[in-house]
Amino acid sequence: MATASERSGGALQSLARFGFVDLTGTIAKLDELVSLVGDSGRSALAALSKSASPDDALNNIIALARFEKSKIKKILSKEESAERLAKLVGASTALNDFLSRTPENLVLFEKAVQILPDRASYDLIFNTAISGLRQKEFNSAELVTCLRITYRTELLKIAIYDLSQADPQLAQPRVSLALADLAGAALEAGLVIARKELAESTDFGIFTKDEIAQTKLAVIGMGKGGAGELNYISDVDVIYVAESAGDSLDNERMLAIATKLATRLMRAMDSNNPEPALWQVDANLRPEGKSGALVRTLDSHQAYYARWAENWEFQALLKARPIAGDRELGSRYFEAIQPLVWQATQRENFVDSVQKMRERVSANIPADEVDRQIKLGAGGLRDIEFTVQLLQLVHGRTDNSVHAADTVTAIDELAAGGYIGRLEAHEFSQHYKFLRLIEHRIQMSQMRRTHLMPIEENAQRSIARSVHLSWTAEDLINYWQEVKLQVRALHQKIFYRPLLVAVSKANDGSELSNEQAADRLAAIGFIDPKVALTHISALTSGLSRRAQIQKQLLPVLIQWFAEGTDPDSALLAFRRLSENLGDSHWYLRMLRDSSGAAERMTVALSTSRLATSMLELIPEGAAWFEDVAQLQPQSMDTLRAQSDALGARREALDDFAKAIRHIRRRETLRLALGAVVGELTLEELGKGLTDITQWYLETLTTTVIEAMTHNQMPIADLVDFGIVAMGRFGGAELGFGSDADVMFVYDPRPTIPVAMAQKAAELVISEIKRLATDPQLEFELDMDLRPEGRNGAVTRSLDSYKAYYSRWADIWENQALLRARMIYGSPELRNGFHDLADAYRYPEQFDNKSIVEIRRIKARVENERLPQGADPKRHLKLGRGSLSDIEWLVQLLQLKFGNEHPSIRTPRTLEALEAIVSAGLMQAHDARVLEEAWLLASRIRSASVLWSNRRTDVLPTDRRQLEGIARILEYPRGSASKLEEDYLAFTRRSRMVFERLFFA
Amino acid sequence: MDKQRDFVLRTIEERNVKFVRLWFTDVAGTLKSVAIAPAEIEGAFAEGIGFDGSAIEGLARSYEADMLAQPDPSTFQILPWRGEIDPTARMFCDITTPDGVPAAADPRNVLKRALAKAANMGFSFYIHPEIEFYLLKSSQIGPEGPIPVDKAGYFDNVPGGTANDFRRRAVMMLEQLGISVEFSHHEGGPGQNEIDLRYADALTMADNIMTFRTVIKEVAIEQGVYATFMPKPFTEHPGSGMHTHMSLFEGDTNAFFDPSGQYSLSKTGRSFIAGLLKHAPEITAVTNQYVNSYKRLWGGGEAPSFVCWGHNNRSALIRVPLYKPNKGNSSRIEYRAIDSAANPYLSYALLLSAGLKGIEEGYELPAETEDNVWDLTDAERRAMGIQPLPQSLDHAIRKLEESELAAETLGEHVFSYVLANKRREWSDYRAQVTPYELKTNLEVL
Repeated sequence: MATASERSGGALQSLARFGFVDLTGTIAKLDELVSLVGDSGRSALAALSKSASPDDALNNIIALARFEKSKIKKILSKEESAERLAKLVGASTALNDFLSRTPENLVLFEKAVQILPDRASYDLIFNTAISGLRQKEFNSAELVTCLRITYRTELLKIAIYDLSQADPQLAQPRVSLALADLAGAALEAGLVIARKELAESTDFGIFTKDEIAQTKLAVIGMGKGGAGELNYISDVDVIYVAESAGDSLDNERMLAIATKLATRLMRAMDSNNPEPALWQVDANLRPEGKSGALVRTLDSHQAYYARWAENWEFQALLKARPIAGDRELGSRYFEAIQPLVWQATQRENFVDSVQKMRERVSANIPADEVDRQIKLGAGGLRDIEFTVQLLQLVHGRTDNSVHAADTVTAIDELAAGGYIGRLEAHEFSQHYKFLRLIEHRIQMSQMRRTHLMPIEENAQRSIARSVHLSWTAEDLINYWQEVKLQVRALHQKIFYRPLLVAVSKANDGSELSNEQAADRLAAIGFIDPKVALTHISALTSGLSRRAQIQKQLLPVLIQWFAEGTDPDSALLAFRRLSENLGDSHWYLRMLRDSSGAAERMTVALSTSRLATSMLELIPEGAAWFEDVAQLQPQSMDTLRAQSDALGARREALDDFAKAIRHIRRRETLRLALGAVVGELTLEELGKGLTDITQWYLETLTTTVIEAMTHNQMPIADLVDFGIVAMGRFGGAELGFGSDADVMFVYDPRPTIPVAMAQKAAELVISEIKRLATDPQLEFELDMDLRPEGRNGAVTRSLDSYKAYYSRWADIWENQALLRARMIYGSPELRNGFHDLADAYRYPEQFDNKSIVEIRRIKARVENERLPQGADPKRHLKLGRGSLSDIEWLVQLLQLKFGNEHPSIRTPRTLEALEAIVSAGLMQAHDARVLEEAWLLASRIRSASVLWSNRRTDVLPTDRRQLEGIARILEYPRGSASKLEEDYLAFTRRSRMVFERLFFA
Repeated sequence: MDKQRDFVLRTIEERNVKFVRLWFTDVAGTLKSVAIAPAEIEGAFAEGIGFDGSAIEGLARSYEADMLAQPDPSTFQILPWRGEIDPTARMFCDITTPDGVPAAADPRNVLKRALAKAANMGFSFYIHPEIEFYLLKSSQIGPEGPIPVDKAGYFDNVPGGTANDFRRRAVMMLEQLGISVEFSHHEGGPGQNEIDLRYADALTMADNIMTFRTVIKEVAIEQGVYATFMPKPFTEHPGSGMHTHMSLFEGDTNAFFDPSGQYSLSKTGRSFIAGLLKHAPEITAVTNQYVNSYKRLWGGGEAPSFVCWGHNNRSALIRVPLYKPNKGNSSRIEYRAIDSAANPYLSYALLLSAGLKGIEEGYELPAETEDNVWDLTDAERRAMGIQPLPQSLDHAIRKLEESELAAETLGEHVFSYVLANKRREWSDYRAQVTPYELKTNLEVL
């Protein structure tokens, strides 16, 4: 250092090289220091340059020297002691303040702290301090002060040790262990004080000394405290267990005493006192959390964990260790709880629910903190801890050698057991220690409980220098970002990659056997892990580019599959798709470069058989995963433009129809994928499917007519041809698996005989039917709603319809007209038919006789139309309170009031329901009940086709089917029963409304 | 769990148990039993025992006939009445579907669900029932109706009587089965007895009651008499109720207790009572599930026919008993409508849910009723806002039908099964011509 000024000459510049920020001010400060402590002040410069913040260090040393001249002089006169002091006061304002309160502690800097005490030594230190305190009369505040000063003195020593390490990252676990031991010893001492308080003072209740002595209380450390890896400052998580030592003290009284002890113990740590609080003792991880009893007996703990505990609680118990109080009771607690922890993965949905818990934590980080989080953010400490704990829980069930409580040891153990690769383990461990180290340094500065990187550059610079003396703030942030990225990647590498390695038999240090790999796959939800391993093997073996890319991708894909309903068949589907498409360059590029695409694809494959099987037909649809905009339904205009563009080929009718069918399949796939990945609502889906169907019929009809005209059969000269959409098609409410209900109508051109026109129209219809049929994606044209049903003519002229409705029509046929909507035909024909329909669907007079008739038909249909043996409670269409109940009720009201209230005239059920409420014809509450049931039944119908690729009108009873449907409906995992309960409850309520309004 | 399982397997070996009966309860509250050989027990713990659920009333829908009974090792007991020859043990079972999901229709699961909800709110639920039953000479009906074993009354000590021996023997057996008895005495009717069980958590208690009924029936057979839990076997004598004392605990402290409250009752306790009162009519079809139950409820005497509460009021639906001073943990309330033939799992689940609803929604507790409500006139009761409980099964069914609380607590499946089952019972009963009609009408008309 002496050469610095020689090289540069300028005094200020040399200060900068020593690490000062405030250069001008420092010269005056150095002078002040020299004036206080003499020449040793000048030589302190070298020591100051080693500290995290030379500026802070200098300021603090001057402040100390003003009152403690001789002590500081002595410290500064030796290079080592000067360095120790400079490092401490340069890194921690809080400990500097403590030093100025307790200058006697300055002697600590004279000697190096070579080793840190163990737990027993800490206990002894507290014991000596507290029993050495001579009190005239009992004063608990004094005891508490003594405890806290003792704690802080020891904390100071730990900090001196920590800051003097050549490689602080290496020493981090030792420092954390000492911090945990110190905290445990402080709690032990706090308990001694609490017992004295209860015995000596009556402020907290009247208990005899004997009763207090008989109350055994054990403090169980949870989290980092229990695991011996504590921070400089954080809440210390604990659970209390109590027991009566003798028969004379009953449990009730014992618990009252133990609860008092526990509360007093907490107060000893955090109450108001001349010496500030240490930290919060947090008992919220106890059974039943905040609302549970503070202290329980061992039996009560066991009963709770055996019966009520949530999955994540077992994960938390992994780190539970007795840390203070009655050792024997504490270890019995430990013995009792351990087996529960290691059997926890056997619990239903274990892995899934602890992952959910973790996601919830991540989702709750305030937005402005996400990037600054060292602990909770992506690539933070919690990511490492979570991965490690998950692996411990999965493999610790059968392997006792991976039960360590603290993260660093646990990583070593997992590596030794072959559960993770040695290289990854090493990286993971290093990253963990690095993150912990910066967390320590940030906390040490103000002794504040924080896990956030400071914003201010100077503060960042101090942290950087305290980790690596030569680092700038920028160096620190860059390195930290790099670590974050690697930690994120390592989770997948560590958890999923060994699965691939197990399959390939390559040896990279992790030696997961096939059985262990199968364990891991089973833990995350694969039903048949053996078969899954063969798929993984097929996907990753060989040297092709595809295999290479899939090797990279599979760890994350497996994770996503596992989050879906049916990981096994999703993996198989992926294998098939991949074998189908694997060599197209866009496919591999998309999977590799767009994580969103890969994720959406896994969702589709693992939740929808319909989407999966259609993707096999139209593999190029996989390209849409890259861009969600592609999963939106195409508008009618776009559809028409596409068919128009095919116009050149219209001469060859069959080829043209083939192309049209292909477009229909492709667009249906688009809707299916959109619905599965959650891009479409039910309304959008209904409209999309209705549009496709309408476009399909319209295009085919136009083309058929053109083609026939071309073949010397000028249809347009014979008839004005039209199509009426009925039922759900009319209401634009089509779902997957709905038929297209239609009626055909025509108006003969003037002078054309009816028989001839009828013949022409029938020809058109039979061509449409022939061309619309698609074996690959069923198209069901249902004409049963026409007059006289299946026995009637396939089409009629407008006049014939008029005659029929005026003379023969049954009341239900009038009712069916409520949802009639012309989708093809000239404006005149459309108006003509709508006018005709209006006369019957919105009659001027809807008499009582007709109402009774409708009610009777409904009552009869309920019995007759339900398939043999079907459970009416589960039939989505004809069942109790399901679609037909709701639609009949709406239609009855439309028949009755449609004439008087034009606003309720619409073929759409929900729109009608809303208008009926606005018109004051139904209570809003009743309408909501109906709407809920209608929506759920409709959604289940569509979801069930998407999930199973089969049409069904019955709510499945098979749990797996229910689960699959529930997932498509965006219920959380494991909701099969919830969906079933919801459906049965919604329809039960809707049936009550229906019975009240329809039959009354 | 593992320790308990090991204990069971060890005990079977040590005591040379020959049969293990797996017990569960159907929706109507009838105990079902499957006996298996000790060699099958280990497998039963691991995988459950498969059986055809569709054969059991209300348990399974026809399409999901395959069910598994999963024995709960903590309920293992050797059955004392079997003696030392071919020792037989029993365990209660949870019923699951083959993929391990709790069966919707298992009453034990219904109660577990309700208890889990309470646990989420920080509560555990404790029960202490007083179970009444009649001892008859036999199940044969005499010309004057059933024939009781004695003609004694309340607290009577019958020298050398059957009832004394009976109770001694029954209490002994119950204790051997790990069921503690608090109290037992002769009740008001001839041959009527009451045995009070020591409080336990609701699930254990429901299991205990199922065991209790079996024990009582077995002891009766042993002593050559017949025991019945029928709610009202005699027109002129009191019916057999199952007054139920309930308390909620938060950890180890009683949540009903507040030394500063009226009758030392906490706010939680008051809301719990309010919940019970509000929902009592709609759950009566379960707590009093037979046509005959309503003969007890409306047969006068001390039966609680009206929805009200009181402190030591022996005509009220809910009674807040006097506590011994400084015994805060014994704070409890007594629900008096439930009868001895109720399905305890479903009844406790509903009582708990009704009470919790009161706590959740912060129901206000109406004023207490100090009078004997039976002595009031209809108009007086109306003026005081005192509603009657349902007067017949039909009436109770109609209340139940509209109950969201019951649907939610029982689950949709059990809910609709109970309704269908009770409607059938009512329509069968309605078709009967009774001795009463013959007696009063035949000669005059």
